Amino acid sequence: MTVTEQPTTTLKKGFVGQSIPRKEDRRLVQGQGTFFDDVRRHGMGYVHFVRSPYAHAKIVSIDVAKALELDGVYGTITGDEVAIHTDPFFEMSVEPGGNITDYALAVGRVRHMGEPVAAVCAATRELARDAAELIEVEYEPLPVLVDAEESLKDEVILHDDAGSNVVWSGVFDWGDVDAALAEADHVVKIDRLHFHRFSSTPLECAGALVEYDKGTGEWTLTCNHQMPGVGAIWMAPALRVGIDKLRFVTHDIGGGFGNKICLHPQYVVLCLMSRKLGRPVQWTEWRTDQHTANAHGNERTFLDVEVAVRSDGTMTGFKVRALDDCGAFPRYEPLGCIIWAQVTPGMYSWRNVRVDFTQVCTNKSPVSPNRGYSRMQHLWLTERIVDIVAAELGLDPVEVRKRNYVKAEQMPYETPNGCVYDSGDYAAALDIALDLIDSGSIEKRREEAASRGKLLGFGIGSTLDSGTNNFGQSTLLNPELQFSGNNEAASVKLDIFGEVVVTLGTVPQGQGHETTAAQVVADILGCSPDQVNVRRGHDTWFNSHAGFSGTYASQFAFTGLGAVKGAAELVRDEMIQLSAAVLQAPPEAIELSEGFARVKDGPPEAALPFMALGAIINANNAFLPPEFNPTLNHRYVCRPYFGMVDTEKKTGQRTRTYALQIYCVVVEADPETGEVDVVDYAAVDDCGVRINPQIVEGQVHGATAHALGAALHEEFVYDDEGTLLTSNFYDYHVPHAMDMPPLKTGAMESPSPVAPLGAKGMGEGGGGGIHCICSAIQDALRSAGGAIVHDSCNPPHRVWAMLQDPEAMRANVTVTSR
Amino acid sequence: MPEPVTSMPVSLEVNGEQIELEVPTRRLLVHFIRDDLGLTGTHIGCDTGNCGACTVHVNGEPVKSCMMLAVQAEGAKVSTVEGLAAEGELTALQQAFNDHHALQCGYCTPGMLMSATALLERNPSPSEEDVRYALQGNICRCTGYVNIVEAVVAAGGSA
Amino acid sequence: MLLREVEYARPATVEEAISLLAAHDGARALAGGQTLVNVMKARAAAPDVLVDLGQLSELRAIGFSSDGLLEIGSMVTYAQLTSSSEVEVSRPILAEVAATIADVQVRNRGTIGGNVCVSDPTNHFPPLLVALDATFTIRGDGGERTVSADEFFLGVYMTAVGEGELLISVNVPPSSGSGDGFAGLTIGTHGTYIVNAAATVSEDGPRIAIGCVAATPVRATAMEEALAGGDFSEDAVRKAAEGLGTSLDPPSDVHGSGEYRRHLAEIAATRAVLQAAERRKA
Repeated sequence: MTVTEQPTTTLKKGFVGQSIPRKEDRRLVQGQGTFFDDVRRHGMGYVHFVRSPYAHAKIVSIDVAKALELDGVYGTITGDEVAIHTDPFFEMSVEPGGNITDYALAVGRVRHMGEPVAAVCAATRELARDAAELIEVEYEPLPVLVDAEESLKDEVILHDDAGSNVVWSGVFDWGDVDAALAEADHVVKIDRLHFHRFSSTPLECAGALVEYDKGTGEWTLTCNHQMPGVGAIWMAPALRVGIDKLRFVTHDIGGGFGNKICLHPQYVVLCLMSRKLGRPVQWTEWRTDQHTANAHGNERTFLDVEVAVRSDGTMTGFKVRALDDCGAFPRYEPLGCIIWAQVTPGMYSWRNVRVDFTQVCTNKSPVSPNRGYSRMQHLWLTERIVDIVAAELGLDPVEVRKRNYVKAEQMPYETPNGCVYDSGDYAAALDIALDLIDSGSIEKRREEAASRGKLLGFGIGSTLDSGTNNFGQSTLLNPELQFSGNNEAASVKLDIFGEVVVTLGTVPQGQGHETTAAQVVADILGCSPDQVNVRRGHDTWFNSHAGFSGTYASQFAFTGLGAVKGAAELVRDEMIQLSAAVLQAPPEAIELSEGFARVKDGPPEAALPFMALGAIINANNAFLPPEFNPTLNHRYVCRPYFGMVDTEKKTGQRTRTYALQIYCVVVEADPETGEVDVVDYAAVDDCGVRINPQIVEGQVHGATAHALGAALHEEFVYDDEGTLLTSNFYDYHVPHAMDMPPLKTGAMESPSPVAPLGAKGMGEGGGGGIHCICSAIQDALRSAGGAIVHDSCNPPHRVWAMLQDPEAMRANVTVTSR
Repeated sequence: MPEPVTSMPVSLEVNGEQIELEVPTRRLLVHFIRDDLGLTGTHIGCDTGNCGACTVHVNGEPVKSCMMLAVQAEGAKVSTVEGLAAEGELTALQQAFNDHHALQCGYCTPGMLMSATALLERNPSPSEEDVRYALQGNICRCTGYVNIVEAVVAAGGSA
Repeated sequence: MLLREVEYARPATVEEAISLLAAHDGARALAGGQTLVNVMKARAAAPDVLVDLGQLSELRAIGFSSDGLLEIGSMVTYAQLTSSSEVEVSRPILAEVAATIADVQVRNRGTIGGNVCVSDPTNHFPPLLVALDATFTIRGDGGERTVSADEFFLGVYMTAVGEGELLISVNVPPSSGSGDGFAGLTIGTHGTYIVNAAATVSEDGPRIAIGCVAATPVRATAMEEALAGGDFSEDAVRKAAEGLGTSLDPPSDVHGSGEYRRHLAEIAATRAVLQAAERRKA
């Protein structure tokens, strides 16, 4: 049953709002989780992909003969077969980018190092690996493009079908930035800022066990795809089958963070192989392959930034040229070209913004949404702007933020491009963060650090997690696309012995959906979360999913729990009706609590356990009148309301909720080595109503760690030949336990007036840690040359370079004042 | 002098049970544990021995089972995460992980538990610093380690 | 990832191990495996025969020779070094440095012999043992010999241990009044070194070795000479380090340019010497 979103009802807080321990934990702490690689099938084969060692090359020939001779090898598949048996994946962009041909394996040409060229299946993992070495591929190298600005020149074309490396481009223009710049007391120009390439690298790599049923033509994918709704939309047409021929089954997933959204190319190969070989086939991605060939975050260069500032420090607008590098194939792109516009002004109230946005292909790993997807890059830009403006004009970074922040009284606040920030008090959140970090003691700490030869820096990073996407924003990229709105489904039933069973459309990878869903259902049905069984994972056959099902984009608390709430309420209402009939009392007199339906203030006998209700519906229903047909089994689709987007002005509501995080950080830089130590860290989160505060806080911790790693170490670096130099955890250093600073967290709850439970989606963290660490490093360097931080990743060698030649880092920025 | 071979029988104790199997000499201990013995609680998260998701105890010491050949465990006592909770009764450490929300996706958790269990056996009341040092070889991408460290310290305090 | 097929043997004595290494071309000794297994997983190297030294308990001893040298068996693990009372009493820097190698799991398996025989330019022990003026006892079919630290490290992944030979022990002079230091910059806490330096200050003057800047540890001889006068004040040490960078030709990579490494070499050497001088006083 589908109903449009109801106005918010504030759920009376019972289990919702409590930090109850997670239901998932019991199996996971005993090593009894089921991750897809744990699953075995009789007769299964293991798949290894042969991958291109070149970043750009023609495939001259592929010879699999020797591999097939090896004992225990079941078969192979190459790009030529893929081109015969499948159609290219659907592309979202307009021409020419939309003409890119993207198959599940490289066809005729490879465009990034690590691109799969062939696959081999064998009886054991080791044999598959051995056989892969026997597959002979001859390449003819082509010139390599690893720089977006180079790529823009279109001298070397990566996709002949497109004829240009530009995937998409467009200008976003709201208000009147030219007038704002003309009227400004100061214009601050920043030539170049660069947001680097990194990703969340979930500990469990991607993969799937795929089985083909010859009789029904159906595939079952036991896998870790985190957005199967969209995965199926790509795969089914490519395989030339209806969507119902693909059954996605997930159990436990070892982290996703967006990096398990674009797995469809490899999955299509597995589908073809399982059908071709007549046996289940399994593929587990290697760590090196995940870094080299799956899911980097968008790399974005910001050029020619101009900011209009009044003498009192009010920033009235900015313009920028943004150049996004999406790697060899767009896939989920060019959505990143528009998703940032969910937070166009960042947390600030300027009304005049122009963004000239272009996305290009290069010979690097394709990108896919990575924690903070596209908003993080843009929010980093706004935070860099604020910091640089403050530094150049001698303004206090706290004052400048408070002056320019959207104010609490302005909520709900419509941004220049028609998005509505639902709630939040940014200044108050900043005050909490400042208090946690004891900002008043900063100058004293600076002196103390200086006495030890260290440069202390204090930084602020404010960020938003926009959540619950309107896929209609894709029509701003390509008006022909038939996407709009969003949906998520869930089912709740009361079974024959009184069990409450919930199935979700979402695909949790650690966010605790089983627990929070149980809390919501328990409060609605009047039982305890222990009595609510939330089935693990996602299964197409649960039929509890919708077109956009998955776990992504900070929206579970809205759409996922909204669907759970809707389904639970339908079941509740029927339980009340049924109890009323059985107990012969009016429905208003019935209350559900502690696993019973009772007559309020009635005698103790006037109570029915859930089991009784379940039994009636399932096994003892003859006495029910014909017109009364409760099922106690309901599927509900939460469909958030967005309104339509205006493709001309590129305005409209793109997301419904806006959680915020404000970070304050204290760093110490070693001027002799450039090493930066994080010595104090505070994070304040406001995601509205917190269903389970401990889970929310856990997300803040995790987002902090990801941001810290990205800000100080994690970078996907390529050489001129397109070789990825950071393909393992030695060179791509992620935070370990000893790398983490002491972390103080605070929270506010500004309920969302638009979300079903007042709870906003959260979890991504908007890259706030990156913003504040850049801010702090710049502050630390003020007394040592005053370099401007213009890159989002600042490992020691880069900080040292800023110390050596601060002038070079400052030449980037000019201020023109009236 | 022993002749080099590509396959040999290996005999060892795993979670208290005696195991004897013929195994290729090239097989990593982690694959032996997961694929040959079906103990899938021990996980694989990387290719280069950095992440520690494969941590098990060999003769009471935490080691990365992806950096050992199965044949190197000849005659050893190996314990994995499945051997911690006897008859489903969680250890104080496992319970502390639950109480303190020390896991999200759960993929690094078995390795964390094995490293932390070894720490608590040697140092029953570790400081936060001790815990971070003991878990330095276990990567987590979900929790930022905050609650993991808290849980281990708490489990130590209660012992 | 997954190893190629390989032959494996588990000798019971050192003699058997040496015979196996001599008898098979392309045989490699398998110590703790913390490097070799990784290399074989990546299929960057594929020895034909692995000779597992795991049963050779005589190589796991730590003791003193008759002339007071600390004799560390080649199969002694980093963990053993950190908990050894012999090491603590005679040359504690060995335990301090060992305690910073990677993590508990690696230290439980990784060996000092493996660390030096791999001779990876970023390893901890090569520059340290050069600074400490250690010697290395090697045994082969032809007998046993002892090689100085300055002659042991020959190149990347190349040492004086030849085909059919086995490193038996690393022998370190006791500190007797000298002070040791070790400093540098790693990729993250306890990560791989970008540049490191080890220093020993004794009555004979300083010995300073720089790691990560060349195929083998580099003795900072000019800096040693500049400090021969015995003035180890901060100013004197910094001054002595000047010019060290330009005398080097370090590699450039993702973690730093050659120029940055030259600079780091001077900083690391300065810090190592200051630390050593401080401890000598104590």
